[in-house]
Amino acid sequence: MQRWIASLAVFALLLSAAATGAGAQGAAIKIGVPVPLSGGNAKMGDDIAKAATLAVEEWNAKGGVLGRKLEIVSFDDACDAQQSVTAAHKLIDAGVVAVAGGYCSSAAIPASAVYHDAGVAFVADASSNPKLTDQGFENVFRVIGRDDQQGPYAAGFMMKTLKAKRIAIIHDNTVYAKGLADATRAALQGKPGVQVVFFDAVTPGEKDFSAILTKVKSLNPEATYYTGYYPEGGLIAKQFKELGISGKFLAGDANNDPTFIKEAGSASEGVFVTSTPLPQDQSTAKAFIERYKKRWNQDPGPYSALEYDAVNVVIDAIRRAKSVDRAAIIKAIAATKNYRGATGTISFDKKGDRTSVLYITYVIKDGKFVPYGAS
Amino acid sequence: MQVALQQLVNGLTVGAFYALIALGYTMVYGIIRLINFAHGDIYAVGAFVGLSLYGLLAALRIQNPILTTLLALVVSMGFTGLLGVLLYRVAYRPLLHARLSILISAIGGSLTLEYGLFLIYSPSFLVYPHLFGRAGPSFGSVDVSWLQVVIFVSGLVLMAALYLLVHRTKIGMAMRALAINQDAARLMGVDVDRVIALTFFLGSVLAAFAGVLTGLYYSQISFLMGFLIGLKAFTAAVLGGIGNIPGAVLGGFLLGILEGLAAGYFSSRWKDVVAFAILIIILVVRPRGLLGERVVERM
Repeated sequence: MQRWIASLAVFALLLSAAATGAGAQGAAIKIGVPVPLSGGNAKMGDDIAKAATLAVEEWNAKGGVLGRKLEIVSFDDACDAQQSVTAAHKLIDAGVVAVAGGYCSSAAIPASAVYHDAGVAFVADASSNPKLTDQGFENVFRVIGRDDQQGPYAAGFMMKTLKAKRIAIIHDNTVYAKGLADATRAALQGKPGVQVVFFDAVTPGEKDFSAILTKVKSLNPEATYYTGYYPEGGLIAKQFKELGISGKFLAGDANNDPTFIKEAGSASEGVFVTSTPLPQDQSTAKAFIERYKKRWNQDPGPYSALEYDAVNVVIDAIRRAKSVDRAAIIKAIAATKNYRGATGTISFDKKGDRTSVLYITYVIKDGKFVPYGAS
Repeated sequence: MQVALQQLVNGLTVGAFYALIALGYTMVYGIIRLINFAHGDIYAVGAFVGLSLYGLLAALRIQNPILTTLLALVVSMGFTGLLGVLLYRVAYRPLLHARLSILISAIGGSLTLEYGLFLIYSPSFLVYPHLFGRAGPSFGSVDVSWLQVVIFVSGLVLMAALYLLVHRTKIGMAMRALAINQDAARLMGVDVDRVIALTFFLGSVLAAFAGVLTGLYYSQISFLMGFLIGLKAFTAAVLGGIGNIPGAVLGGFLLGILEGLAAGYFSSRWKDVVAFAILIIILVVRPRGLLGERVVERM
């Protein structure tokens, strides 16, 4: 009797397995979106996930792709190296055909190895550390620029626009900040008349930078570029003004945050921030912003437009590949040519980096980030 | 020379913060031989309570910067002082005779306070109102802001008041008696529990004062702000001779100045290395710290 029940159960299992197998043909195509949904960067993760959902909903409204609906599968990577690897395994187990998302470089780099082993395409929306694409993985792409592209841009701005000859560079020894500082220094060295008079690091988490800034002051720089993150950046900008240091103060794109202005108060006026343009400052993103606002009743975050493009690049590749085979999708993404996204035209070079990346300079005016030269 | 003077001013400002916090470590250690790991976080609580007060007063449309600051200081110091006593009552008193357990309890207290702030306020950086500008007296090219003067002078006044309290009053005598021998003090009729509670109260009050001034001077606070500075202040207390009140003050200022000069003349990256290497040398020569006297003379 018992045996009979057991065999019946096995039969039932087989039947259900066959049923899901048959259903897979018409089931939704899954795209993985790892984002930080807990911890200090949760707000960024939420903005990114919403943009991904919007992109998929728009395709589904037009009937999906290859006659099948699309679906977003999202897991929390907490901007943490270990948790991002766990999230990557979960996404692969869930059967995603490609991955588009992530935020922190420190989470995206370890996860990219997992995607590489599984042969899944990974299009990063916000991770700018050069190492991500320098690993030589053929499945890794990004729609944001690289930190070593921003360095030369910042160097050019200081030399040409500000006409600065004596330049001080301050970083904080993190992977991102040191990389940006090195790239900036490399672009300045050997230029006639230009001199990097100061190059040193602060300690993240401290509040008093007057000692290092007093040293900067004694060197009379014409421009000072800080490449770290905004919590220290706001304080440094404030103490820079308080000590009455000569020349302009500039900061890298990790300072493109309202908290920077709040911390520095009136000392933030006239500070320059080099950055990729925010969505509201890009003509190509106008339609996207309107649709995003309509769908979510809020403004897009700084990386929403990039994630929207990343997901669209993946779906466009599936359409061109006419297949959901993971390897075919990787090939099709690599072949992306002049895709017109919300953040401009997208093509990838051999490494998987975006070929044309735009950097602009913001200047802080009346407590707001204003594109420099626009007004 | 002027750069050196400016670095001296910078060092004295940072040193005042170190010294105010170091006093809490040193007093508690002097009396119950406990390294109160939660003390740095008590300082953070002081800063957050001060910020809440500014928010409340702004909502009530009280805007005089000096009045609001005095209120924020008094309320934050009172509240944080009582929190210090509560911490002692809950986490330390039941474990006074278990030396290792009480240390673990202190670490637990530290984490509880940190993540309590995380949950009640926010994980992000919060910003104090910008009330006092950077105006101030100028000596040659050395700039000093009035806020720096206030931090330095009021810090010194508080420290002097504490010294007088410990050395010129009856309750201070009880504290010193406790530091020498708890049992003997109890036999002489000293209410040991009350005196220890008072010690925690005073240390926390000074930390809260430093917390609110940190907010005003640097403008940015966060729930983990007590960790690094707590470590530095503890070092300052050891440098001066832990358990010794003037020693904690001296250690605080010395550490601040050493850091400033190290950053100015070597490299900011090597600042902590240089400062701590000097500390190690001092401690090798004088293991009890600069002013650490015979054990009996603690405090």
